[in-house]
Amino acid sequence: MGQLTLSKLRKSFSNIEVIKTVDLDVEEGEFVVFVGPSGCGKSTLLRMIAGLEEATGGDIVISGKRVNELPPVKRGIAMVFQSYALYPHMSVFENIAFPLRVEKMNEADLNTKVNEAARVLQLDTRLKQKPGTLSGGQRQRVAIGRAIVREPKIFLFDEPLSNLDAALRAEMRIELTNLHKKLGATMIYVTHDQIEAMTMADRIVVLNFGEIAQVGSPLELYHKPANTFVASFIGNPKMNFLEVTCTGAGAAGVTVSLDGSGEAVIPVAPHEDLVGRTLTLGIRPEHVHLGSGDLELAFTPGVIERLGIHSVAYGTVGSSGENNFCGLFHGTAAIRDGRAATVGINAADCHLFDEDGQALERQIELSQADEALVDHTAA
Amino acid sequence: MTSTESIVRDVATEDTPVVPATQAPPRTSDTPMIDRYGPVEKALLYAGAGLFLIFILMPFIEAGLVSLKPLSHLFSRPYNFFPENASFDAYVTMWQSVPLLGRYIANGLFIALVQTALALLLIVPASYALARFEFPGHGLILGGFLAVSMFSGAVLLIPLYRLMRTFGILNTYWAMIIPGTAFLLPTGIWLLRTYMLRIPRELEEAAWVDGAGRFYIFRRVVLPLAMPGVVVVALTAFITSFAQQFIFALTFNSKSELMPLSVGLFSFFGRQEVIWNELMAASITGIAPVLVMFVFLQRYLVAGMTAGAVKQ
Repeated sequence: MGQLTLSKLRKSFSNIEVIKTVDLDVEEGEFVVFVGPSGCGKSTLLRMIAGLEEATGGDIVISGKRVNELPPVKRGIAMVFQSYALYPHMSVFENIAFPLRVEKMNEADLNTKVNEAARVLQLDTRLKQKPGTLSGGQRQRVAIGRAIVREPKIFLFDEPLSNLDAALRAEMRIELTNLHKKLGATMIYVTHDQIEAMTMADRIVVLNFGEIAQVGSPLELYHKPANTFVASFIGNPKMNFLEVTCTGAGAAGVTVSLDGSGEAVIPVAPHEDLVGRTLTLGIRPEHVHLGSGDLELAFTPGVIERLGIHSVAYGTVGSSGENNFCGLFHGTAAIRDGRAATVGINAADCHLFDEDGQALERQIELSQADEALVDHTAA
Repeated sequence: MTSTESIVRDVATEDTPVVPATQAPPRTSDTPMIDRYGPVEKALLYAGAGLFLIFILMPFIEAGLVSLKPLSHLFSRPYNFFPENASFDAYVTMWQSVPLLGRYIANGLFIALVQTALALLLIVPASYALARFEFPGHGLILGGFLAVSMFSGAVLLIPLYRLMRTFGILNTYWAMIIPGTAFLLPTGIWLLRTYMLRIPRELEEAAWVDGAGRFYIFRRVVLPLAMPGVVVVALTAFITSFAQQFIFALTFNSKSELMPLSVGLFSFFGRQEVIWNELMAASITGIAPVLVMFVFLQRYLVAGMTAGAVKQ
């Protein structure tokens, strides 16, 4: 049982189910990111934890106590909003001091706390200014300062970086990760940006249409996506999907045949009764390479984006002419638009999904993929 | 949990290279709109504005000029628009002709001020509730207010008179204040509700999460942000009540010491003649305090009417 437990949590707005039975355990000190496309219910879920939305069914338990009916302040949470929600008529000092004023903290303690937070957030020279005169990054820090002074058990972030430009976002990501390390508090962070999810999270919760599609560490989601949704959502450019037919299954994996490219044995755990079925083969663009491989495809790029470090090519494979296929090659790859090239993929890099879009588990040790799981001291 | 200091120290050790305040993004153009027109267009714009102004201000100009003329010149033929031997005599003699004039002016201002204060007391919470809370009959109430504001007070004079008589407040200030206040509510509520709808909900949610109660949020967050809107509503309420107190004052009050200026002006109507120059002088003197107030407050009016997003 974790610090925050959601069990059978549901939410509907006038007959429309926004959250359909969510179960989740969050350990103390974890950085959990809710990610998903817009409208998947991630913000609603966060607002339910915060106490800004009522749950239609199920329980929210924080530190062993059911908090469904408690107001936000009694739940021991603090929230940072997407628009920062700073009070424009109050100075930075008063903004940060707001929760303490509500608590009716005495003036001396309040001053100490606010000044301390401001000094380390490098806002001490700005305390008398109004939020309107601050830059986006500074406003963000004021919002964080307001959350910190209350010393909550759980921090909730609702897309806090989406209003910043790309460069500032990258820096705030690092600041937030540092903040999490220093605080050791539980943080729940909502974003639609998979980069933020991958870089900051201890665990990612991928949501789709109000349901949890998969929960796992960033690299677990990358290497072992549970279904086609997670497979295409995590990773950029998106994973390619090809239709294949299963021709055999065994201990070494599942043998599939791809039209015009022959057969390959994909190292995944087989289900029963697979032979003869149509399956979906997933291959990430970064695992497509020029030349030969376990499976070879005739790839005709339509658009090539040269990024210097990489070349991203979008085009068609085979003769069908409608398959959207993407390959990520090195920066100087010898490919040209409109000219067919042979690309290869390795069976070990492939993902395989059944007709329902559920993954056949890849036979890959995560410790091979995730540096964090490798025990360096043993060597 | 570590102390706040250590928490945040590393978060912000390297300051983000934020854009300094001086390097605000350049505006598309700093040229005022008016400078983008050619001379002919400008001349036409000013001519149009001038035409409107003359149309609106002519009665005031005429009133001002009449107040400066001796009474005998008013009916001279041919009529002189501009006074020949102008004097401010009427502004002095009017106080003798109508000794209660000062009282009338004070009454008018008093009634308008009390009406405004009462109206605000009702409008501010009502418009907040109608802007933020969904409750049964929400739309009906708003529609009802709109419908009521389509009636003029004159239609309701007789039922209102009976009501005042039942409560026994005929010939008191209340008889003029209460119905006047009621008619200020619909416009005020609609105006302020629209303004309050523009205050981002997230601000209130943030305060709610931080433990503030409804009234605390209202007082510390909503009200300060709605202040420009409240000022606009107060000003329009004051103008309306000042300008429209005539009908209720005439009908529900017959005590001359309670009369506001608009009714009190009838004292200049003698049996034989109307002292037009003093009447005009009294009118102008009566609206002068309001006029002066507006010179100082009009920037709020403009700012409130055009205020953009409260959200940053």
